[in-house]
Amino acid sequence: MNRSAEVTPETVHDGLERARYLTTPRVETVLYLALKLEKPLLIEGPAGAGKTEIGKVLAEILHTELIRLQCYEGLDEAKALYEWNYQKQLLRIQADRAQDLAWSEVTQHIFSTEYLLERPLLRAITTPRKVVLLIDEIDKSDEEFEAFLLEVLSDFQVSIPELGTISARHRPAVVLTSNRARELSEALKRRCLYLYLDFPGVDIEREIVSRKVPELDARLHDQIARFVNGLRKLDLRKAPSIAETLDWARALCALGIKELSTTTVRQTLNFVLKHEEDLRKVDNKISSLIGAAARHNV
Amino acid sequence: MKSHLLEFIDTLRNAGLSITAAETMDAVRAVSITGIERAQLREGLAAALVKDEADRPAFIDLFDRYFAVPGRQRGKGERPQPTGESEGHGTGKSGLLPRAEPRPAEQRPEGRGPEERGSEPRQRESPHQRLAEQPRKDGKHEHKKEERGDQLARKRALLQIAFREMSAPEIEECDLLVTELARRFRAHLCRRQRATPHGRLDIRRTIRRSMSTGGIPLEPAFRERQPGRPDLVALCDHSHSVATASRFLLALLAPAHSFFRRVRLFAFVDQPVEISFEAGTLIPHDRLDLYARSDFGKALVAFWDQYQPLLNRNTILLILGDARNNRRPPRADVLARMHTAVRQLVWLNPEPPARWNTGDSVIATYQRHCDALLAASTLRELYAALRQLFRAHRATA
Repeated sequence: MNRSAEVTPETVHDGLERARYLTTPRVETVLYLALKLEKPLLIEGPAGAGKTEIGKVLAEILHTELIRLQCYEGLDEAKALYEWNYQKQLLRIQADRAQDLAWSEVTQHIFSTEYLLERPLLRAITTPRKVVLLIDEIDKSDEEFEAFLLEVLSDFQVSIPELGTISARHRPAVVLTSNRARELSEALKRRCLYLYLDFPGVDIEREIVSRKVPELDARLHDQIARFVNGLRKLDLRKAPSIAETLDWARALCALGIKELSTTTVRQTLNFVLKHEEDLRKVDNKISSLIGAAARHNV
Repeated sequence: MKSHLLEFIDTLRNAGLSITAAETMDAVRAVSITGIERAQLREGLAAALVKDEADRPAFIDLFDRYFAVPGRQRGKGERPQPTGESEGHGTGKSGLLPRAEPRPAEQRPEGRGPEERGSEPRQRESPHQRLAEQPRKDGKHEHKKEERGDQLARKRALLQIAFREMSAPEIEECDLLVTELARRFRAHLCRRQRATPHGRLDIRRTIRRSMSTGGIPLEPAFRERQPGRPDLVALCDHSHSVATASRFLLALLAPAHSFFRRVRLFAFVDQPVEISFEAGTLIPHDRLDLYARSDFGKALVAFWDQYQPLLNRNTILLILGDARNNRRPPRADVLARMHTAVRQLVWLNPEPPARWNTGDSVIATYQRHCDALLAASTLRELYAALRQLFRAHRATA
């Protein structure tokens, strides 16, 4: 069954709608291309713009499982690919001691897939159907791991000395995300399609807020979206993410606030900005930001 | 269409984007899927060809010229809006479906103005005609490719400039370079940490462990080779000639603080003052008189008096200085005491070795009590010294 033949622009669009992931046509086109061409997709962008979400959404679009590999400094092959379950093997050896088995029989027992701990990459290779493999924050891993990953991504095949070579029956749809903490290797970038996912514009963010927090006033949706958009234009240590915008909206809703004012914003701004220096920097700009947001409303 | 696309890719290459043959094939396949509807074509080509967001403006500019909407002013293609701003207007489904036949422009309102009319107008204009109209090589874009090569050459050159000869703008450029080096240094330390060899076999613990496997020792236990993470104390000469080198050393060490148990940084000219390094700036905890004359002996004595508890068997002591003592007493005896107290004492000298021991430099006196004396007169040497220091360290643990 060739899964990719079933992917059409409509299915991608409908899938995004169903998953309530609002985005631009640019993103839809690139997602569609990545699925159709069966190439990995590298998504770069600021933290909190929704890169990891795309992986989850893609799994929903394809009606399949999401396998997630979270990268960190020091991640190596063993943690990412596979490891032998030493304890279980030892127990087996102990149990077999009673029967006087030949060495070949012993190895046959303990080096079987039953004793293999499959980590995300191997799981993605051995699944019986196409899955989505999300490799999150690849920029946190080091260059050696990147080289190893490149090898896996090109062939989708793994050699386990005791078991032989395992090839993937269905190539997974691969999504890699990066926060641009460091430059990725050229070879990896060549292999992937590229998408830069920036924070959404005012219109999309307003839509997102109105869908996720519908209880609020429509005017407040707009004000919130514009205010956060204004915040992002400032030079902050950490620009507010979409999740933080939604947290703020929910907080305002819970507090019964109908409109943004300097006092209400000052009280609740810590939902949006999580660094003390950012809060201080923004403190005297709150009123002008509210003014700019309100001006668009008329 | 294909030849047109290949010419477009060639122009992109001249503009400084590096595009491989594999990506070209991706682009061709992408076009066969997205069709020639302008917005999708653009995004499809961008996804396959533009792998760095910094290149996107150049790509958009060239795309607008190469796939210009006929009938409109050539070269002034629709100015692309920032993503999300106007593309967010519910184009939704209609945006994705490739148009099979040309449509009159006014029937499809889009946030960015009327779309082109489809395939017919493009065939009318022969590719040659279009090429003749557009300048094949725009002087501005041509330079970008050279720029990239230049940037690498510049970086290499910056690494080789001696600290003493750096001008202020060069120092600023080096700041950026140093953040990159600091990142690499961290990665190096991380690898070191993982690959540390273990010590001798610990029989007692091995037998203890074998209890869980029926008395068979299957997982050997080793003595811990390294006593956890070392402490780092850096003492940097901040006299005028050496201040730049100090600054860069601290910039390199600061991000790696998680690999050490305790990190304490000090600056001195004739008195040691503790400093912190945050967000690229040095913050002295106390007043540091930068105009005093260098007096290493006095600084060492003061340091030993005040901060002796910091120097223990687990400490690595880094001293950065040119050892130019203005003919004052060097007090190498204090250095000797420090040497016995710490695990490792390393001296980094920002002067080239040819100048050591000339004039009022007393480095030979100090050298006797150092475990290592390394030259660090350029960024490259400084980085290499740090790498060497922390590679050697693994073996001595």
